[in-house]
Amino acid sequence: MTRSRALRAVLGSAMLAATLAPAPESAAQTGQQTAPFAPARLWDGKTPDFRGIWQVRGTAHVNLEGRGGIIVDPPGGKIPYTPQALKRRQENYRNRATADPSVKCYQAGVPRATYLATPLQILQSPGNFAIVYQENHAFRVFHPDTRPHFDATDWWMGDTRYRWDGDTLVADVAAMTDQAWLDQAGNFHSTEFHVVERYRMTGADTIEYEARLEDPSVYSKPWTIRTTLHRMKQPGVRIIEDECLEDANGVRRHVSPTDPRNLLKTDYSRWKKPAQP
Amino acid sequence: MTRARLAAAICAVAVAAAGSWLWPLLAQSAGSPSTTAASLPRLPDGRPDLQGLWLKSAGGFQGLFVGSLDGTNFAAPGGGRGRGARAGGPPPGPRYEYTPEAEAERQDRLKRGYEDPEARCHLPGVPRALDQPAGLYPVQIIQDEKYVALLHEAMHDVRIIPTDNSAHPRNYWAWDGDSRGRWEGDVFVVDVSNFNGRAWLDMAGNFVDENEHVIERFRLIDRDTILYEATVTDPTVFVKPVEFRFTLKRVPAEQQILEYSCLEGERSLQHYTDEDGGKKRRAK
Repeated sequence: MTRSRALRAVLGSAMLAATLAPAPESAAQTGQQTAPFAPARLWDGKTPDFRGIWQVRGTAHVNLEGRGGIIVDPPGGKIPYTPQALKRRQENYRNRATADPSVKCYQAGVPRATYLATPLQILQSPGNFAIVYQENHAFRVFHPDTRPHFDATDWWMGDTRYRWDGDTLVADVAAMTDQAWLDQAGNFHSTEFHVVERYRMTGADTIEYEARLEDPSVYSKPWTIRTTLHRMKQPGVRIIEDECLEDANGVRRHVSPTDPRNLLKTDYSRWKKPAQP
Repeated sequence: MTRARLAAAICAVAVAAAGSWLWPLLAQSAGSPSTTAASLPRLPDGRPDLQGLWLKSAGGFQGLFVGSLDGTNFAAPGGGRGRGARAGGPPPGPRYEYTPEAEAERQDRLKRGYEDPEARCHLPGVPRALDQPAGLYPVQIIQDEKYVALLHEAMHDVRIIPTDNSAHPRNYWAWDGDSRGRWEGDVFVVDVSNFNGRAWLDMAGNFVDENEHVIERFRLIDRDTILYEATVTDPTVFVKPVEFRFTLKRVPAEQQILEYSCLEGERSLQHYTDEDGGKKRRAK
């Protein structure tokens, strides 16, 4: 383990401990003191059941800092960039039409995959937890935090270690690439990026999603986003295949599997022998 | 090849090496079917528990590996030309019998191997999703009473298969088609249809078109082995169904799936020889 890795691990566990202590901020802010929602259980009678197809509402995927922003800390709703990093963000913003990795059909990264305009599915059984994101068929397998992060990788979807804090799933995500963006507006991070996610059911059909983002080389201090995942309940709802196709110019574009352009019929006519005269 | 890939390849070699030591033991432990069935791990609904991390052990994939079909497959020393190959003969890998037009098409694709969509990081289709190089890319299976989900390391391909034997949708065409599963006793049977006609079956020009239909069978034959069988029919391509058969071996719990970020930087075309056009394509 490198020194920065070791330092990050120590910092990470300290921050994890710090985030566990206070009561949920949202309840404190509204002054309501309701009993926490008790989620259904898996067949082990113990593990909270988060299974289902979920999607956020709103426009956080366009711009985390915009009108539909979901930044709850710092209070102003702006990312605490270092001055240099802010310049890079502005440059990203100017080039967003082509530079956004999402435009190239790359995996969205964490936490961006959570608040996309497409659904995700939580797969679960006792001891197993995974999220499949419809966009670009990305997925994350959550591993118990009893073992340390997979070291020295630069993954798009990161390496996830989790544990249960009561009925809240707390996930520690590290080992991420510096190529991923956080939204369409060019917000970004480096390989020092570290995320602590909290998933908590607030009703039968809602999950509160909170993520604390830290990156000492890009942000002057950690910051936090919070949003709500809503259960998709339409009959027959499912995650559909999302695989980009090259257009006439070789540029990849999303083409729905319900779009007939996805269908390619092999033409055998050129192999047919001409009829004998 | 990324660093992670390299690590995976090294792991794969290690697994293969361990496998060649272990296979005589595994052969002994296979046991009779009746005793095994009773000892299989099961979910509360009584279905065999297919969950875990699995790695294709041998068979399939262009005959590079050989294996027995009693559930104990192993990589042959010398990549398919070694002792195992001589003793047991080559594995009955897929035999393709094409219609005349499809055979011409296949020969043409063989010359244009670099156009294999998987070389450009596209989804592999079925059964290629599982018929990846043996010992390299594992698949994580998560299962409940409603779904069996296959999370493939390769191409981060995902198949969430409902187990209600529901009908295929209309007007849906996908690289991996549409999968509907059902349990026939202890065998998980998947009916796959609605292909978009774009995926190839391998790097050697074998292909299917939009009329492909697959029946897959996943059979847990002991705690650590799934026998996988797929029957591929395609009336416009094959005169006879094509059979795939190989085993998946359980990967020790301390290992984990890695990220396969193909489109995001992998240069898969390097796996194609210059004769195949790899050089030409890379130069572009």
